[in-house]
Amino acid sequence: MPLITGMRGTLALATLRRHPARTALAILGIAVAAALLLDMVMLATGMRESFRSLLLTRGYQLRVSPKGTLPFDSEATIDGASAIVSALRANPEILAVSPSLGTTLAMPGSALPSVFTLGLEPDVQGDYALDTGDDLPVPQQATPDDQPLPAVVNRSFLLRTGRRLGDTLTVSAGLDAQLRTAARSRRVQLRGEARFFYVPEETPVLALPLAEVRRLLGPTYRDRMSLAMAGTRRGDSAAVESVRRWIAETQPRVTAISTETAIRQVEERLSYFRQLAFVLGAISLGIGFLLVATLVTLSVNERRGEIAVLRAIGTPRTGVLQQVLLEGLGLSLCGIVGGLGLGLLTARWLNGILRDFPGLPAAFNFFVWSPQAAWQSLLLLLVSGTAAGLLPAWRAASTPIAHTLREDAIG
Amino acid sequence: MPSGKSSLSVSVSASAEAVIRCEQVVREYTVGESRVAAVRGIDLAIARGEFVAITGPSGCGKSTLLHLLGAIDVPSQGRVLIEGRDTATLSDREATAFRLRRIGFVFQRFYLMPMLSAQENVELPLAEAGLPPAARRARAAELLGYVGLGDRRSHRPTQLSGGEQQRVAIARALANAPALVLADEPTGELDVATGERLLELFAQLHADGTTLVFVTHDARVADSASRVVRLLDGRVQQDSAAGMMPDTA
Amino acid sequence: MGWGRRGVLATLIVWPATGLSAQAADTIRASTYGRRPPAVRGIAIDTRMAEDLGLAPGARVRLSAAPGDSGEMVEVAAIVERRADPAEVARREYRVRTHLDHLQGLLGLDDRVDRFAIGVRSGTAVDSAVARINHAAFGFRAHPSRAVAVESSRTFQVVERFHRAIGFITVVASAVFLLCLLLLSIEERKRDIAALRLMGLSRRTVVRALVLEAALVALLGCVLGAGIGTVASWLVNAHFQSLYRTPLLFALLTPGIFLFATGTSLLLGVAAGAVAAWRLVRTPPLTLMGR
Repeated sequence: MPLITGMRGTLALATLRRHPARTALAILGIAVAAALLLDMVMLATGMRESFRSLLLTRGYQLRVSPKGTLPFDSEATIDGASAIVSALRANPEILAVSPSLGTTLAMPGSALPSVFTLGLEPDVQGDYALDTGDDLPVPQQATPDDQPLPAVVNRSFLLRTGRRLGDTLTVSAGLDAQLRTAARSRRVQLRGEARFFYVPEETPVLALPLAEVRRLLGPTYRDRMSLAMAGTRRGDSAAVESVRRWIAETQPRVTAISTETAIRQVEERLSYFRQLAFVLGAISLGIGFLLVATLVTLSVNERRGEIAVLRAIGTPRTGVLQQVLLEGLGLSLCGIVGGLGLGLLTARWLNGILRDFPGLPAAFNFFVWSPQAAWQSLLLLLVSGTAAGLLPAWRAASTPIAHTLREDAIG
Repeated sequence: MPSGKSSLSVSVSASAEAVIRCEQVVREYTVGESRVAAVRGIDLAIARGEFVAITGPSGCGKSTLLHLLGAIDVPSQGRVLIEGRDTATLSDREATAFRLRRIGFVFQRFYLMPMLSAQENVELPLAEAGLPPAARRARAAELLGYVGLGDRRSHRPTQLSGGEQQRVAIARALANAPALVLADEPTGELDVATGERLLELFAQLHADGTTLVFVTHDARVADSASRVVRLLDGRVQQDSAAGMMPDTA
Repeated sequence: MGWGRRGVLATLIVWPATGLSAQAADTIRASTYGRRPPAVRGIAIDTRMAEDLGLAPGARVRLSAAPGDSGEMVEVAAIVERRADPAEVARREYRVRTHLDHLQGLLGLDDRVDRFAIGVRSGTAVDSAVARINHAAFGFRAHPSRAVAVESSRTFQVVERFHRAIGFITVVASAVFLLCLLLLSIEERKRDIAALRLMGLSRRTVVRALVLEAALVALLGCVLGAGIGTVASWLVNAHFQSLYRTPLLFALLTPGIFLFATGTSLLLGVAAGAVAAWRLVRTPPLTLMGR
């Protein structure tokens, strides 16, 4: 049988080479369809995978936020933070807890009037990765007022303020516009530059020790936090869900969200893109199918006489069927190979467009290469393209030999 | 004869037994709303090793009869027996296999695959018959040598003259050493000189024991045959085997 | 001051006052015995909240700043339709509006706000007003509304650019498909074309006829596509308006878009037809016949 397939493969290939311009155009069309399909699959799976890896960057599987809110989705804060954090840390199933407090501090006399500030505990923080300089030290006690607070910033902060590592500046809170005073100010020294995972790249960020941010914000914020991230000892979804339920039962003033829930909620917000991806993916499958079906049908119609002769000299129906299907398969395969490269290029382009969304975390991508999803979709296109040749192949195999030879002789 | 040819290794035992037998064969077609009988009750027997020319005016049913003899078509009434097998009882698969191994076809328009070389065109039925690549290459080369195209094996049909293309078609028809070679107007698309050279090849085939049945309106082809059957309106009008002089007009 | 002039954003805890009204009301009356009882303040809620919680104007709910707090009784005074704002389309939270002083009191914010919206008198330049304010500002900055609009419209711009990119890719795919189809369909009739040429028709006549045919096919396809696009946009709008519970229009087929699509299709169809036709008429008729 391989001998027969070899000759039929040769015949199929020769048929495709017979009209090179036509074949090249069809392959180009299939390549574009394959590229679009690949991009849509990358879009549909990419947002999910990108967000998942973003959330799990530091291994924290749970987020604890004010009741009824998503993390940093509002300015609400949680009171009695210490008690909640202590309770979480006392749970043997919880490996680490990272509380954080987000606020806006003023920077009088600076090119940047205010800056988004994160108060963090340096030993457990999961919000940034240091690139250069020194990290926030783990404080044994409060920094004396006459000494500058250590701070870590991002690249955008340095660019917007025109500062460098080692510089000091003043941050203030509790501004009174009428008295034109700040209730509390501190000098801070820029010790390190970092990449902040959950903050948009273009947003300047300043990270300070949590206790110092609370002191700056005043008595009302003495024991508040915006969010706590919790990492479970066991990372499987059942264990995470078990801990999440425990938090929900024991801490009624907060909402605990697992990574999966957060992903689902973000997917809901971005469902438009997933549905668009599905529709466009289906359309590109349809285009690929139609293109192959049309080309193979016309090719078979052109060669009815030849096909009748092949049958006359002893090629069985299955042989003709196989040969025509191989033509469809060959077209689809060549198109898919071209589409793979084209798809990766256009994905990069489209990702660059969508990454311009304001407020998007720096590490988030819309188009992410997922080998399994990509190969599955391309395989689907291959099967679809091959199946597209099924009807014309069957018609070719069913060619009435005598009738066709007669018609061809007359024509 | 073309120079450089070699003997064809085809084993055909000369025998007077009938290779083909037609018994009151009728073939009708529906054309529009009317029924047309292309063949109307033909009785014919062709012995092994005969060279038969079927002649007649256009529309007399020559090609239809040839298709029936080649198991490409089945009769509406009557029987066509090829080597004792009734073609109407064969399934499509059986008929196809039968044509592959027992019958060779040569067409007026050659019908070579334009994208394949001469060698590959001849290999087609050999590949279908399951020969390994090396064996079928050797066999195809031998056949092309036999028809005088040993040095044109790698040429595409578009690079060959009409006569050369028809020779390739003949080589293809002989690929699986068929009991019977059927040709439909084999010289129809060729000039006189080329046609005559082709007839020499057919004569060689006949001399080597191949049973040949031709459909032709070419008097030269009819003259070269050992038997002429003339059709008119779907019936046998004259058969030189019955002792009547063939009418080659 | 009104509802929209100065706003304070906060998360409020709202819960219906079911089963509490009689006793709570008594408690309130008791604590204020002898004094004029405080009026129940009114709030406005959005349509989504009203639908989901079954609230209508006149309904009483308790409003508090933190979960577990007792809060205060308020009355639903109005139900507000949310704006068709694409930036908020996927946000599921409920929106509550209160008077400014009411919310400041609830949150203990004293005299704080998040922002001011300022309208200048006619004739006053906005930029000079912004400059004067910023010169005197302490702890806040003024921005022209158009600058804010530009910034907040970045979402739309990104979506628009994305759609354009997808549209471009789709047009390229369609162009290739169209060219392929026309090439194939014209080549299928090469014998007819050869017969016309042998009869004496000039190349130009044949090309013109084929191009006209291709243009007609493109035009018909365009009309059909517009019909399909119109129906598709209805379905898209119906689906996403239901999904996101918004009056926002997601797809809109405008005359401009129709003209662009028609023009592009015609252009592509004519170009594809011309290329295919010219390829064929360049070939000698006998070759087309297979001789």
